[in-house]
Amino acid sequence: MYERDISRRDPGCVVFLLDRSDSMKQTWGNSRETMAEGAARALNETLLELLFTSQGEPGKARHYFDVGIFGYGLRPVAGGEGVEPAFGGKLAGQPLVALPDLRDNPIAVRETPSVDVGAPPSRVPVWVEPVYGHRTPMCQAVAVAGAHVYEWANAHPDSFPPIIINITDGMVTDSPYEGAGLDEWAQRLVNIQTSDGPALLFNIFLTPAGSANPVMFPATDRGLPTPGPDLFRISSLLPPPMVANAHSTGIPVEPGARGFGFNADAFNLVRFLEVGTKVDVRD
Amino acid sequence: MQIQVVTFSEPKDGNTPDEWQDGASGGVAGDATGTARFIVVDGATGSFDPVRWVDQLVTSFVPPPGAQRGADHAGPRPPGLEPAAMRDWFAQMQDQWAADVPAFDSIIEERKFREVGSFATFLGFEITGLDGPDPRWRAVALGDTVLFHVRAGHLITTFPPMRPGDFGSRPAGLHTLRSSLDEMTKRLLAGDGVLADGDFLFAATDAMADWILRAAGRDEAKVWETLAGLVHPDVFARLVSDQRKEQDAAKRMKNDDVTLMRLRLLADQPSFVLACR
Repeated sequence: MYERDISRRDPGCVVFLLDRSDSMKQTWGNSRETMAEGAARALNETLLELLFTSQGEPGKARHYFDVGIFGYGLRPVAGGEGVEPAFGGKLAGQPLVALPDLRDNPIAVRETPSVDVGAPPSRVPVWVEPVYGHRTPMCQAVAVAGAHVYEWANAHPDSFPPIIINITDGMVTDSPYEGAGLDEWAQRLVNIQTSDGPALLFNIFLTPAGSANPVMFPATDRGLPTPGPDLFRISSLLPPPMVANAHSTGIPVEPGARGFGFNADAFNLVRFLEVGTKVDVRD
Repeated sequence: MQIQVVTFSEPKDGNTPDEWQDGASGGVAGDATGTARFIVVDGATGSFDPVRWVDQLVTSFVPPPGAQRGADHAGPRPPGLEPAAMRDWFAQMQDQWAADVPAFDSIIEERKFREVGSFATFLGFEITGLDGPDPRWRAVALGDTVLFHVRAGHLITTFPPMRPGDFGSRPAGLHTLRSSLDEMTKRLLAGDGVLADGDFLFAATDAMADWILRAAGRDEAKVWETLAGLVHPDVFARLVSDQRKEQDAAKRMKNDDVTLMRLRLLADQPSFVLACR
């Protein structure tokens, strides 16, 4: 299981569930940005990294991945509370987007100051914007995304299994949803599989507290406050490719480690997404 | 001593021949020194325009026939294999890459060129003393492109000293980013060996090298006999295709670009010459 390389013939699928509830307006740790801003920035960086992988020959982007982002909480397009695809601009409303389409349709390219003194500003493409409001309909997010993941897996039976990464700062507020709790929805999601194994569900919990101790890829939920144990329980075991990613990123992981992060700051969110989305490509 | 050289290659299954991202070249120097020089490189799929990087490395390490190089000519002299000379060459290659900025069609492409760059594993080797009694090979390597020295059906040396299972997705290699220069210099490996009449040298990129090591572990005589007996690119293509489809995962060849350069040392002129495009 989890041995397939990503290729144009058998592309991968990465889906992000992005908490856009009201609490994401809180300032993130010691930074000047809100959690909504930090999460959007980390997602845009991760999309750029995925596009780097696909950009081999000049002028071409290879279709290595289909990518989805589902925001839950405030729905900026439809209005009110719920779940909707979070891409902006020309991609608005699209549940899954092929990398070449993503490449060609950022909302904007913005200049940000370079971290290197004296270096010119960095030009950053943007696909998802920070918004927040309402509560945290996480079950509905898993349900909506799961329907698209199910269709994708049926269409790509020999691909690396879909990867779903849930970024949240809050407690689920819609459990049970349509008669099933978060555990049940998560189980339905990871029951989706390709010939290379079940779908992977990873969860990362953000905290506004700057002094909280982050926990990355734990093998136990011992000592974690609520909702740590609940999110740990529904998180998939970290498969060998991601264990290797964690090691190469300098994160120690023990046997039985799960795709789960708790009390993450902005730095750890970026590292978590890096570990969870890097899969070898072959052609 | 004569060298009989042939290079076989196959792109990944599903790719077109122009998407082959390995590179190989070599031959006897035209300066009557009795030296021959070879290079085999494997461009990384996820890097920026690996075909261009591979081409730059190959044509610099082994200038194409007719190219005028050296102190009195237009281009730089090919590098020596000593660590300091290799470091200078790495830096020269990085400078050349950075100076030749392509036209970008998107911000993603531009940032990938500047921040990610290109990457290839590298095996370079020389054969010296072809006109004397003690011909030798000397090699340098970064990554998992492998040189096998075979005598009388037995493996004498594997350089770098790889074993089956050592072939991961993050090998060492030649990177275009200047920030990697120290690391490349530190990880550069060197090896050498004495050659004799009838010896074979096989240089193979990772998927082929891994397959060779695993096949040799099961039946060494058979694998060298098979590789020594390859007489046409179509035969090589069939071998690769069959091994990629092997049902037993332990025997299967990974679907990747494959390149195999075969050198045979002969005391006499070969009885026939095979020319393949």
